[in-house]
Amino acid sequence: MLVLSRHCEEAIMIGDDVEIVVVDIRGDKVRLGVNAPARVAVHRKEIYESIRQENAQAASLHGTLGAIPGTPSLAHQRAAAIQNIAAARISA
Amino acid sequence: MKVRTSRFGEVEIDPSRLLVFPHGLLGFARFRTFALLQPDDRGVFYWLQSVEDPELAFVVTDPTAWVSGYQVPIRPGELTELGLEKAEDATIFAIVNRRDGAITANLQGPIVMNAASRTGIQLVLSDRTWSTRHELVRLPGAAAAKTA
Repeated sequence: MLVLSRHCEEAIMIGDDVEIVVVDIRGDKVRLGVNAPARVAVHRKEIYESIRQENAQAASLHGTLGAIPGTPSLAHQRAAAIQNIAAARISA
Repeated sequence: MKVRTSRFGEVEIDPSRLLVFPHGLLGFARFRTFALLQPDDRGVFYWLQSVEDPELAFVVTDPTAWVSGYQVPIRPGELTELGLEKAEDATIFAIVNRRDGAITANLQGPIVMNAASRTGIQLVLSDRTWSTRHELVRLPGAAAAKTA
């Protein structure tokens, strides 16, 4: 891993269009500013990881979920919108 | 076209009904093409089935049907990428999971779609207003027991 020392308000460039600025340093906390094009996704790693893990677990789900008491029904308009996106019906 | 699925067998799908996720879903970046399958139970759960991997499918739901006040702050760059003019035009899904006797939804990583162009992205919401395991409903008989 490349390790660089930076003072407050100094920055690093990653490629031509990603800039990371040290905005503030207080105790053990560093505030970073990121200037990046919209196509570059920037996330806190722990949040990214928790969503990735949740996806992995969700992908192992089987069975049906339809007949659970307490399940709301979709507003007519929303149901129609989703039906527009759906590709096929399957038997539950 | 016929799409092989491990859960529902072979499903006939009109290629024009496919959904494209240019970045895939988090952790599944290789898989870009999906089809939304609608169970015939008139429920609010749908399957987002990968066309490329028969095993890969997610249960998704419309989170707004469950959680009033749920809104996804879609950034301008994300709207542009989806080809949407405004956030209200997006169709939102949440990926569903079963955890500790409850059905949960990932509200921190919602799927945002342009229904017209049939493209979608999974967002990562940076604030912690919504969790990845928002409880939608407890399963019957599950009480507080850990059944996973």
